[in-house]
Amino acid sequence: MDKSIKILIVDDFATMRKVIRNLLKQGGYENIVEAEDGVNALKILKSQKIDFVVSDWNMPNMSGLELLKAVRADEELKALPFLMVTAEALQENVVAAVKAGVSNYIVKPFTSAVLDEKIKKIMEKM
Amino acid sequence: MSYDSLTGFIDSMASDFLFIDGRDIDISAAGKFLNHLDQILAEAEKVSALPVAKISRSLSHILGKWLIDQVKDKETGFGTIEKGIFLMQEVAESYKNTGAYGGDVGGFIGGCATLLGEEIPLEAAAQDKVPDAVEAAPAGEPETVPESAADQVQDESLLKDFIVEACEYIDEIEVNILNLEQEPDNKEFINAIFRPFHSIKGVASFLNLGIIRDLAHKLENLLDKARNGEQEVTPPLIDVVLDGADALKILVNQLKTDPGSSQTIPEGLDLEELKKRIQMVEEGRTDIPARKKLGEILVEEGVITPETLKKGLDTIEKKPGTKIGEALISEGDVTPKQVSQALRKQVDQVSEASTIRVDTHKLDDMIDMVGELVITQSMVQQDLNMSLHADRNLMRDIAQLFRITSALQRASTGLRMIPIKQTFQRMSRLVRDLSKAAGKTVAVEMEGEDTEIDRNMVDEIYNPLVHMIRNSVDHGLEVPADRLRAGKSEKGIIRLSAYHRGGNIVIEISDDGRGLNKEKILDKAIKNKVLQSRDGLSDAEIYRLVFLPGLSTAEKVTDISGRGVGMDVVKQAVEKLRGKIEIESQPGEGTTFITSFPLTMAIIDGMIVKVGPERYILPTTAIRQALRPTRESYNNVVGKGETIRVMGQLLPLVRLYQLFGIDPDYKDPWEAIGVVVEGGNRSKCLLVDKIVGKAEVVIKSLGEGFKNIRGISGGAILGDGQVGLIVDPEGLFDFSERQ
Repeated sequence: MDKSIKILIVDDFATMRKVIRNLLKQGGYENIVEAEDGVNALKILKSQKIDFVVSDWNMPNMSGLELLKAVRADEELKALPFLMVTAEALQENVVAAVKAGVSNYIVKPFTSAVLDEKIKKIMEKM
Repeated sequence: MSYDSLTGFIDSMASDFLFIDGRDIDISAAGKFLNHLDQILAEAEKVSALPVAKISRSLSHILGKWLIDQVKDKETGFGTIEKGIFLMQEVAESYKNTGAYGGDVGGFIGGCATLLGEEIPLEAAAQDKVPDAVEAAPAGEPETVPESAADQVQDESLLKDFIVEACEYIDEIEVNILNLEQEPDNKEFINAIFRPFHSIKGVASFLNLGIIRDLAHKLENLLDKARNGEQEVTPPLIDVVLDGADALKILVNQLKTDPGSSQTIPEGLDLEELKKRIQMVEEGRTDIPARKKLGEILVEEGVITPETLKKGLDTIEKKPGTKIGEALISEGDVTPKQVSQALRKQVDQVSEASTIRVDTHKLDDMIDMVGELVITQSMVQQDLNMSLHADRNLMRDIAQLFRITSALQRASTGLRMIPIKQTFQRMSRLVRDLSKAAGKTVAVEMEGEDTEIDRNMVDEIYNPLVHMIRNSVDHGLEVPADRLRAGKSEKGIIRLSAYHRGGNIVIEISDDGRGLNKEKILDKAIKNKVLQSRDGLSDAEIYRLVFLPGLSTAEKVTDISGRGVGMDVVKQAVEKLRGKIEIESQPGEGTTFITSFPLTMAIIDGMIVKVGPERYILPTTAIRQALRPTRESYNNVVGKGETIRVMGQLLPLVRLYQLFGIDPDYKDPWEAIGVVVEGGNRSKCLLVDKIVGKAEVVIKSLGEGFKNIRGISGGAILGDGQVGLIVDPEGLFDFSERQ
């Protein structure tokens, strides 16, 4: 699989972004950009070509779910692979994300192998 | 009634279902079905086809469980969904034809429950091999990360980042929780507290910081419940969250000193007790009224006494259905107008002001830009004044522009003003902690907490204020036993009040403690040789001595006031902010610190002085007096330098022109002007040519290239467009002593 895809990490906690960045790097993904909330993520998505989004669920300003809905509602972005990072697999939240068209979700904490697996599976379906 | 839409929705779900590969439902298919089911449910409820609604709810539930990997028997699960869709078709068809359904869907619904009920042994599910659709850890308590996972990401720089960021987040929690205490219903505040705990938990789980993760998780859960309205925000909840934040801080700080200590609980930290308290808060649902009761407001306003209120409450107890306002009016205790005013007040407490949040950087940028505008405007005006051909109309327009820019500047600096409330709340928290540690009971009273101050000043004034508070709690207030003996109530009072005076905010911190001990101060002053004789000093002069270095009168060093930080340091810190500090005290009745600070650091109130062709601005707060030295008062002692005698005191003479290398108009002190300036606990007499006048100027930084000029803190554009340099007295004194 093509590991040069450009991945956008969205999380308000800088250390968390670094954690995910490190895990992605371990999986061989080097092309990474970051945003600290949904609003900035959208700005980035509008201004450059992103192949994959890894977004946190709980963020100020614009939550991960709101970001997902905004992405799916956008004509150009609606097919964008979107992986949601959540703290626990709460049925209510997962159902909401799935209804909104999330590509998959991943529960903290996770290993780079699990993350890589998720990304591969999503990209295969593209 | 038409059932066409309903059958249509069910049919399209059924046809989507036929296209599923294999017998597994992936995320995108699940999403599609869930949306179908929502549509079906809404339509079924609309046309009252209740059996269909029931089935669609059950199917949504199964899909939800499927998504979080709690349907272990996928085969049966898939079959059940299939069966459910066919059953919905059958029921809807029957409604369409006969308007009713004769069969029973109870059996199917029961089957769904059994499917889920039997299939949720959690531990078994967790050990199962990674399923295809979603890999998810079971809900509830967070799982421990496999060691290897943690090690992979566990590098030192990450841990360092985490410590810094976590500390910032915890500070945020503290501020927000005090806001929450004021407005327990404000979801935004709850969210603002919830989120940092949540984020800390998330990262801690990756870094294998089990203890931090578990504690953050417990607190997060508690706040989540508060957020969802399942848990009332009560004082015990606030207390336990504050203590939880403290505990997290201790744990994080432990990592700072010893990165390897992530699995040990620091000594003195009772996490078990804390967890027990969290649980107790979760179980005991104590109710507190969200807004103040009418009676309380009336008592607070001084309209009625607590006794009258009690009488009124007794009355309504006897006559159920009457309200307190009615009861009080019928008794003649209050007028209807007073009640309606109080009611309005009660509503006001809840209604929010219409505000928007703006990033402070944006504001700072704007204020900077307005500052530039003012300067440019005055330069244009200056150029025109110099020009011989100035147009009358143009001059008039420029004058108008001047008025507008000044108004704009006032308005824009006003934007950055925030109430001192938050600072007071932080201090009240501090008093709470300190008094507990000192074994004293203390009540905090606040006054004028709506007084506004520049956002950028808030952080600056915090530390000096904290020292004064510490001082009051630790040394000012007596222990309960002593208070009783002195005929006071056991509970000490610390009073924080703020108000505006001139261009300053005055903050008073007073206690009703024992007051300063004059004898002890005098003894110490003589011992330290800052005073020759104890006689002839007024009370105020004696109290002022505590601001001299080494004159703290505390008998012992405690862990509260700490060592080394005396009132001299506080005074210096206050002066650095161009503030002033005074002290008032009555033996046996208490002590008051009166501090005043400029409202903003962006504008300075200064005295413009001239030296040769140059002009300098001296901060007005630092100036004690101005005088023309006489020949007799001037003295030059070899080895001690030049001095001027001012009111019996020998002050070192500082010739500004010498320091800055300027050619002055006057070199003899008796021809020039002496300005007595204070800074860093020293007073000196500055020699200048002339005092030009007073002015309020906007401080401009001199830019990166001129950052550390000795004795100069910045520059300002004066009325004529020329630059004047602002003198920093303390820096200037250091500079002169090194010469």
